[in-house]
Amino acid sequence: MSAQARPRPRRRRQPSAARNMTYVLLVLTVILSAFPIYWTFVVASSTNDIIADVPPPLTPGGHLQENVRAVFDNDSANFAKALVNTAIVSAVVSISVLVFSSLAGFAFAKMHFRGRNLALLLVIASLSIPMQLGVIPLYILMGKIGWNGDLKAVIVPFLVSAFGVFYMRQAISEAVPDELLDAGRIDGCGTLRLWANVVVPAVRPAAAVLGLFTFMMTWNDFLWPLVTLTPEDPTVQVSLATLASGYYQDYSLVLAGTALATVPLLVLFFVAGRQLIAGIMEGAVKG
Amino acid sequence: MEGIVRRRLGLGMVAALAVVLAACGGGSDSSTSSSTPAADTAPAASTAAAAAATTASTEPVTLTIDTFGDFGYKELIADYVKLHPNVTVKEIQQEYNQHHQQLAQHLAAGSGAADIVAIDEGFIVQFRSTPDQFVNLLDLGAGELKDRWLPWKWAASLSADGNTQIGLGTDVGGLAMCYRKDLVEAAGLPSDRDALSAMWPDWNAFIATGQKFQEAGTGVKWVDSATNMLNPIIAQQPVGYFDTSDQLVFDTNPGIKTAWDSTMDMISKDESAGLAAFSPEWNAGFKKGKFATVACPAWMMGYIKDQAPDTSGKWDVAAIPGGGGNWGGSFLAIPKESENPEAAYDLAAYLTAPEQELQIFKDTGNLPSLPALYTDPALTGFTNPFFSDAPVGTIFSDTAAALQPQFLGTKNGPVRQAVENVVREVENGSLSAEDGWEKASKAAAKAAG
Amino acid sequence: MSVTHRTPGGRRARGAPLTPRTAPYLLIAPFFVLFAIFGVFPLFYTGWVSLHDWDLISSGPHEFVGLENYRTLADDPDFRNAIVNTLGIFVLATVPQILIALGLAALLNQTLRARTFFRMGVLLPNVTSIAAVSIVFSQLFGREYGLVNYVLSLVGIDPVNWQAHKWSSWIAIATMVDWRWTGYNTLILLAAMQAIPSELYDAAKVDGATGFRAFRSVTVPMLRYTIMFVVVVATIGGIQLFAEPLLFDTSPASANGGAGREFQTIALYLYQTAFRSFDFGYAAAISWLLFLLVLLIAGLNALMVRRLGRGVR
Repeated sequence: MSAQARPRPRRRRQPSAARNMTYVLLVLTVILSAFPIYWTFVVASSTNDIIADVPPPLTPGGHLQENVRAVFDNDSANFAKALVNTAIVSAVVSISVLVFSSLAGFAFAKMHFRGRNLALLLVIASLSIPMQLGVIPLYILMGKIGWNGDLKAVIVPFLVSAFGVFYMRQAISEAVPDELLDAGRIDGCGTLRLWANVVVPAVRPAAAVLGLFTFMMTWNDFLWPLVTLTPEDPTVQVSLATLASGYYQDYSLVLAGTALATVPLLVLFFVAGRQLIAGIMEGAVKG
Repeated sequence: MEGIVRRRLGLGMVAALAVVLAACGGGSDSSTSSSTPAADTAPAASTAAAAAATTASTEPVTLTIDTFGDFGYKELIADYVKLHPNVTVKEIQQEYNQHHQQLAQHLAAGSGAADIVAIDEGFIVQFRSTPDQFVNLLDLGAGELKDRWLPWKWAASLSADGNTQIGLGTDVGGLAMCYRKDLVEAAGLPSDRDALSAMWPDWNAFIATGQKFQEAGTGVKWVDSATNMLNPIIAQQPVGYFDTSDQLVFDTNPGIKTAWDSTMDMISKDESAGLAAFSPEWNAGFKKGKFATVACPAWMMGYIKDQAPDTSGKWDVAAIPGGGGNWGGSFLAIPKESENPEAAYDLAAYLTAPEQELQIFKDTGNLPSLPALYTDPALTGFTNPFFSDAPVGTIFSDTAAALQPQFLGTKNGPVRQAVENVVREVENGSLSAEDGWEKASKAAAKAAG
Repeated sequence: MSVTHRTPGGRRARGAPLTPRTAPYLLIAPFFVLFAIFGVFPLFYTGWVSLHDWDLISSGPHEFVGLENYRTLADDPDFRNAIVNTLGIFVLATVPQILIALGLAALLNQTLRARTFFRMGVLLPNVTSIAAVSIVFSQLFGREYGLVNYVLSLVGIDPVNWQAHKWSSWIAIATMVDWRWTGYNTLILLAAMQAIPSELYDAAKVDGATGFRAFRSVTVPMLRYTIMFVVVVATIGGIQLFAEPLLFDTSPASANGGAGREFQTIALYLYQTAFRSFDFGYAAAISWLLFLLVLLIAGLNALMVRRLGRGVR
C-alpha cells in the first residue's frame, strides 16, 4: 500500500460518487429532521383557520407577532414565569446529574467493590420502572412533605438519573485509561482528585452530551410537572397545556407557545452544540 | 495547584446547587394557601345583594376556582370581587378530561384541589358516591336554596343516602338540532327552522331527511359523527345504560337497542362525516362546512361560535328529533381539603344565582338549571344573532321544562366511552354492525367493572 | 495503592474521607439515596396497591384481594392487545432506528464540509417537546387535511385513515419515535466511533478489508458495548411508549389508543385504567407486569448483543 501523498485525518479517499451520495443523504436527513419544527413555525405564524386548509400550508403566515403576544398575554398560562422556572429547573438538574452521575459512573467503571454488579443491575433495573404509575405514590409523597406545586417537586427526584450513571459508566470505561488512574494513585491522588483531574477531562465530550440531553429532557418533561405543578407556578409544558385547554383548541396559539418554548433550547443547542461537536471531534484525533 | 483549584470548583458547584435549591424553595407556596393579603383591603362588611345568607368573613382570602371550558365566569368573578374586596379569585381552566382526572388525583392525594371545582354530569355520579371528599353544602345553608333548581338537577349531585349535597347545579344540556341554513338550502331543502322541525319529528324521519339531503350531491354530509347521534337518542330514553339499582342493562334495555339501531342505520346510509367528536378534525369540520347538522345541547352554541366565528349568521336552531333528552350540564363543588369552605360557598352560590345564570346564558348560551328563569321574559325573549336570531331562549327553556331525568349509573362515563369507541370503529369501517353490537356489549360490561 | 500523601497545606492530614475502600460506596450513595426515596418507595407502594381493590377516588379502606388483579389481567384481551401493540410498534421503530443511526454515524464519521451543520441537524428533533411534536405529527397524519395524505394523493394513493388501522397507526407512531430518537442514537454511536483507534483500520486494510467490510469487521465489534447501551435504552423506552400513542389519537382524552385500541400500548392502557377508569389496583398490577417485562426484554437484549459481539472477532 503506497502512503498517501496528502496527509488526511481519515485513512482512505472515497470515490466522488459515493461522496456525493453521502452529501445527498445527509442533506435529506437534515431536511426531514427540521421539517416538523419548521411546520410548527408555519402554523404558529398563521391563524387558526389554516389548519384545515387543503393543500396544507407550507409557508409562514404573517401573524407570528400577534400570536406570540397572545401567548404572553394569556393570564392563566403565566408563560413568562414558566420560561424562567423551567430554565432554573433544567439548569439545576443538569448540573447535579452531571456531577453525581460522573461520580457514580467512575465508581462503577473503575473501582472494584463488593456488590458492584448487583448495584449496577439495580441502577439499570430502576430505568425500567414505568413513570406513569410512579406518579401517584410520588404525588402522595410530595403531598406529605408539602412540595406539590413547588418547583422542588420537579427538581429533587431528578438530581441523579440512572441513565446518567449508566451512560457515564460506559463513557468512563471507554475513555479513561487505567494507566492514568494508576499513575494518579501512585502520586497520592485521592479519589475526588482523581475524579476531577483525570476522569472529568477525559469524558468531557460525553459529559457535554449528557449535560445537554439532560437539560433538554428536563425542559421537555411533561407528565410529572403536569401532575404536580399548578398554572400559577408552572414550567413551560404546564403552561403549554394551559394554553391548549378549553373546549376548543386554537392551534396557532398552542404552536406559537410551542415554538416559543423551543426557542431557548434551539439557542442553547446552537451555542453549546458547537462545543459539543468540537468535543467529539477532539476525541477523534487520537493515537 | 490545579488539583486544588478543580476541587474548589467542584465544591463551588455543589454550594451553588445548594443556594439555588434554597432560593427555589421559598416563595412558591402561594398557590392554594389561604391568607395571601390582598393589595389594599378595606375591610368592608359584605353587602353583596346576590350573596347567599352566610356570614362572609372580612379577612383577606384567596380562592381558586377550577373549570373546564368557558363557564362565562370571568366577568362575573370580576363583579364579585368588587363587591367583596377582601377576596381574591384565581380562575383555572383546563381541558375536560384533564380537569376531572386531576380532580380525582388531588382528592386521592388529599391536597392540591381548588376551592371550587366544576364537575360535569358525566363525572358527577362517580364523585357523588364518595361524598366524604367534599364539603356537605347542606351544612353551609344550601338547603335553603334548594328550590332554585330543577328537582332532578338537585338530586343528581346528592349522595345516595340523600344527606350530603356535594354540588350546586350550573347549567343543563337541553337538546336541540343546530344546522347550517346555507348548506341545507343548497341541497334543495327548506331552511326555515319550523319547517325542518316538522320534517323530523323522530329519528327515522331525521335519517330520511338526511337521505334527501345527500341525494342532492353537494358533497356535504348530513351528520357530523355517529356518536353525536347515539348519545342524544340514549339521553332521550326513559332508562339509559343503568337501571335505578345501578345495574348495567345494555343488553336488555330496548331503548339502548333503538339508539344503536338508528345510529347503525344512519351509518349504513353513509350520512356521517365520520369526524370524532371534539377532535381537531371535527373542529375543522365546523369551519369547512363538512356537515349540515349537529345535535346541539345549549352549551354547544358557544362552542360553535368559538370554533367557526366566520360562519356567523349561517347557523340556525331547530327542534331535536324525538324531543327532550339532556346531554351535559355541570355542578360546582367544594373539596373537603379546601381551607376556605365558607368563602368558597359564598362565591359558588353567587355564580349559580338566577341573575348570574341569566347573564351566562346571554354570554355563552349555557342553559341555566333554574326553572324560575324559564318563564322569565329576559330569557325567553333572548335571540342569538350567530344563529340567525333563533329564539334560543324559548327553544331551550321549552326543552328544559319538559326534561325527563334519566338515572346515570356510577360507571356511566366509562361505559359511554367504551360504547362510543365501538361505534367509531363501525363508522370507520373496521367493524360490521352485527359484530359491533357484540363488541359493544362486552366493552360496556368490562367498563362497568 | 497510595503510599504517602503529599499534602500541600496539610489538607489531607486529618485523613481522607474517601479512602479507596469506602470511596466507591460514597460515590454511588447519592444516587441510591434518591432512588430509595423516589424510586423504590413508589415501586413497592404500587406493588402493595396492586394487591387491593383500590378505587382512586374513594377515601375509605380498600379491600385486600391478593393476586386477584393479576389473575384478571392474565385473561384480559385488552391487555394482550396492548402487549401486541407495544411489541409491534417497538420492533417497527427500533430496528430501523438503530440501523439508520449506525449508517448515519458512519457517514458523519468522515471529513466532510459543513460537518457541524450536519451533525447538529441530525440532533435537532431531540430538542423539541414530545407533546408538541405528537400534536404536530397527528396533524400531519390527519385523515382529511393531513400533509401525508395530501402527498400520497399527488401520486394517486387514496387517503389513509391513519388512526383507524393497526398497520397504519403503527407506521405513523414508529415514524414519530424514529424521527425523535435516530439523531440522538447517531450521536452516541458517532462519539464511540471516533474513539476507535485508527491502527485497527490500518491493520484491517493490510488484510484487505476496506469500506463496508472494514465497517463490519472493525467498527461494529468495537462498538458493541455502545450498541448494547443504545439497544437497551431504546428497548426500555420503547416498551414504555406512552406520550406518542396518547396524543396521536383523534380523541386523545380517552387514552384509548384509537377507537378499537389499535395502537394502545401497555403504558397507555395502564394510564387509562388508572386515570379514566380510576381502577388503581388493576393499574398497579399492570404497572408491575410492565416493569417485569422491561427487565426481561432488556436482559434478553443485553445477552443477545453481547453474544453477537463475541462472535465477531
